[in-house]
Amino acid sequence: MIRMCDLPRYADADMEEIKKMKEAHVVLNQITYEPKALYRGYTDKRLKIDVSDNSVSILDIPQEVKEKFTGGKGYCLRYLWDSVNPQTRWDSPENAITMSAGPVAGITQYGGTGKCLVCTISPMTDIPIDSNVGGYFGPFLKFSGFDMIELTGKAKEDVIIVIDGNKGIISVEKAPLEHRDAHILGEELTAMYAEDENDRKNVAVVCSGSAAEHCNLSMLNFTFYDPKRNVVRLKQAGRGGIGRVFADKRIKALVCRFKGVKANLNDVYDIKILNKDGLKFHREVATLDNKQNAMRKSGTAYSLQTLSDYDILPTHNYKYGGTEKVSEMKAEVWQEKWLTQGGADGCWYGCSMACAKTADHFLLKTGPYKGCRVCVDGPEYESAAGLGPNCGITDPQVILELNFYCDTYGIDTISYGTMTAFLMECYENGILNKERTGGLELVWGNAEADLELLHLIARNEGFGKIGALGSHKQKAYFAEQGWGDMDFMNDIAMEQKGLEYSEYSSKESLAQQGGYGLTNKGPQHDEAWLIFMDQVNNQIPTFDDKAEALYYYPMFRTWFGLLGLCKLPWNDIVPADNSLRDEPAKVPEHVDNYLDLYYGVTGVKIDRDDMIRMSERVYNFQRIFNIRLGKGLRRNDAIPYRSQGPVTEEEYLSRQERYDRQLVELVGKTAEEVQAMSLQEKMAATRSYRESEYEKLIDAVYPKRGWTLNGVPTVAHLKELGMDLPELLEIVEPLQDVQP
Amino acid sequence: MKRLEKDEALCTGCRQCEEACSKAFYKTADRMKSCIRITDREDGTHKISICTQCGICAEVCNTGVISRDAKGVYRLDKKECAGCLMCVGFCPEDVMVQSDDCLEPSKCTACGICVKACPSGAIRLVEE
Amino acid sequence: MKLNDRPYENWHEGLTIRGVMDYMHFTWPKLVVKVNGQLVWPEDYGNVVLKEDDDLKIHHLLGGG
Repeated sequence: MIRMCDLPRYADADMEEIKKMKEAHVVLNQITYEPKALYRGYTDKRLKIDVSDNSVSILDIPQEVKEKFTGGKGYCLRYLWDSVNPQTRWDSPENAITMSAGPVAGITQYGGTGKCLVCTISPMTDIPIDSNVGGYFGPFLKFSGFDMIELTGKAKEDVIIVIDGNKGIISVEKAPLEHRDAHILGEELTAMYAEDENDRKNVAVVCSGSAAEHCNLSMLNFTFYDPKRNVVRLKQAGRGGIGRVFADKRIKALVCRFKGVKANLNDVYDIKILNKDGLKFHREVATLDNKQNAMRKSGTAYSLQTLSDYDILPTHNYKYGGTEKVSEMKAEVWQEKWLTQGGADGCWYGCSMACAKTADHFLLKTGPYKGCRVCVDGPEYESAAGLGPNCGITDPQVILELNFYCDTYGIDTISYGTMTAFLMECYENGILNKERTGGLELVWGNAEADLELLHLIARNEGFGKIGALGSHKQKAYFAEQGWGDMDFMNDIAMEQKGLEYSEYSSKESLAQQGGYGLTNKGPQHDEAWLIFMDQVNNQIPTFDDKAEALYYYPMFRTWFGLLGLCKLPWNDIVPADNSLRDEPAKVPEHVDNYLDLYYGVTGVKIDRDDMIRMSERVYNFQRIFNIRLGKGLRRNDAIPYRSQGPVTEEEYLSRQERYDRQLVELVGKTAEEVQAMSLQEKMAATRSYRESEYEKLIDAVYPKRGWTLNGVPTVAHLKELGMDLPELLEIVEPLQDVQP
Repeated sequence: MKRLEKDEALCTGCRQCEEACSKAFYKTADRMKSCIRITDREDGTHKISICTQCGICAEVCNTGVISRDAKGVYRLDKKECAGCLMCVGFCPEDVMVQSDDCLEPSKCTACGICVKACPSGAIRLVEE
Repeated sequence: MKLNDRPYENWHEGLTIRGVMDYMHFTWPKLVVKVNGQLVWPEDYGNVVLKEDDDLKIHHLLGGG
């Protein structure tokens, strides 16, 4: 076991080099301002920076926007809408990157209260992506006086943006000598803007990595400085290619410095409530985490073995739901061999859930940093599953190396994992071969080829140029080249709306198929994670039950992104008596805590219905935003068949008993009929049934959400929500009676 | 090394120690503002909870504001403390103090005020 | 016997809750187990013997993604 107390600290940056880098900066614009203090969670100010002309504006956020959009994702989407028009593409100058933390973010007493939401028009989906990220930038932005930052335009040369929230200085500067890869750039800027060693924890950096200039899968890293390790840590706004937009705007990094983090910078309404619930939460984690998920020991990777046991762990591009070899990477292996134990690993102050684990002084075996010993953040469950068994890899050392390079290059581990799984299946099926990949033998489990692909993407060389496209565009390319059949590739490429799926096999859960397919941004599990409730517990058996869940959970979970909260403390730890409550899956005591926190910060009392209402406003706004940009109707909620059932014979045969039984129990065949059917006939009948079930699911879900059967929010529903805004009615009114 | 030690058999449950500690640092007689806490057991004996200088508070702090001094006493630097209260929540003896009047919690500094206040010698300060 | 409202095919005399969990390969530790609406605590999983017409619920609590 690797213990925190035995760990040597990482080396300091070379301050001479840092000095030279700083001296090479050219300030293009600098303003001073009076940082507005927070009041009950808000400053009501937003910062807008247009890098086309380096203009810096500080604008008000009006009361009506606060009332309807709350904060966080709500603010991000509102101001993104205002910045773009229906013809705007991801690389248009008017595409904006908006970031907002939310009114509760920045308190320190409760776990998971430092989150920031980031939105932009995605290069992968061409509609808004929303991404939730930890680290210190979100709270520091608030403390610096801003509920939101909006980045528009395009710079002629790479710039960084520096915000000093104590001194009240914002500058746009050229920073020519700094590196691009996040694990170095983060260190350079932290060392550069910290006044001394003790001040490093007061510097937060946002940056992508060297892949961002050409890779659609690029994300944003949000840093925080770890004083115990003396290293800069990386959290990610992972999904949707925001890093690509960032680099397209020629923004290399954002830096925000704020000194003086205290428990009440939000100037909350009643701090006693925060103290009481925070202390209660910490005590809960202290006594129960070990008996529950052991998040403090293994992070979110605790569930790998379990999900394989239940046939949910995506294996070989979601063909299968698990593998015996997952034992090589189960929670105990991470805890005992790879992840440092005993660190204070929250990604914001006061997070006792402390799930941001690291593999320290990890020796890299490939790539530009081969031979270096680095700090690897993660792996999260998603990264471990996607980079791992989904690609046929179960060696923790390989997963850590892939994870590290994805992070530093600025590439989303989920999209990279799911995309590589697709490429491997293409290779296994002859759609790709050594000639077409320039020598990369992308077969299941080939770690060497996988890592080499990642490095090629970062260098924009060879097959890396194809790798950089993402699976949605790769299908079109492969079909164009005449390499593969489009229908087959549409079945197996696990992407929807242009975004790769995250790492759960939804084949046996119709509710989760909807949980992925009926999302706004694309198949990300942060709206609804219903697999166990559906597949194992059978708690939502009817279409009505599933529809209710697919209405409630996305709305409930949207709320976290309006307030600046992390969802993990909601249900990855539960009170001791949770099983005795009604609806334990909703963890009612924790929901009460969140209502308390909202009241304690803002002074506004809300109930559970209000929570849903607040979310519904933003959720429907986002749906209409999708429609505005051409991708928000029923047809855009179609899903690849691999997410629903067995595409290939080997998949059917691997679960033949189950599928044959379902033909009898669900599809209505007799046992004799099934006996007589050929494999192809059985597969066709299974497919036809499952596809029609999904359509029936949509028919049940849309009305629950207040939408027409074509997926358009109804005027009546918008009026009920107080969202009958002219710009929204303009879009939905003509579509009210249009059939799917 | 400086440490508090206890002998529960000598404790009469008078709680002078609690009063002395909370009065010294919070100007009020309140056991929840004392770094030493007495709990009555059903059999009439008394449990004395003291800071054992175990260091768990320092371990869970993400900012390193709690550190060991030369005498092995864990001290909390209020200046840098962000008031997250994780140390209070994780204290295995539950003897850290969180007060709503103060953004930062406090902890036992092995000052010995409680020892002086104890009439029966149930607690003592040991220096090695 | 029903498990999570689905017919359970492997009932036999002397079947315990633990037996069901082993057969179903239910390895996740955070469970809410009820027999005919009555909560059963983990220490009793090996003791509670199931009757042929029992309504067994083994609900997994997994935070998930």
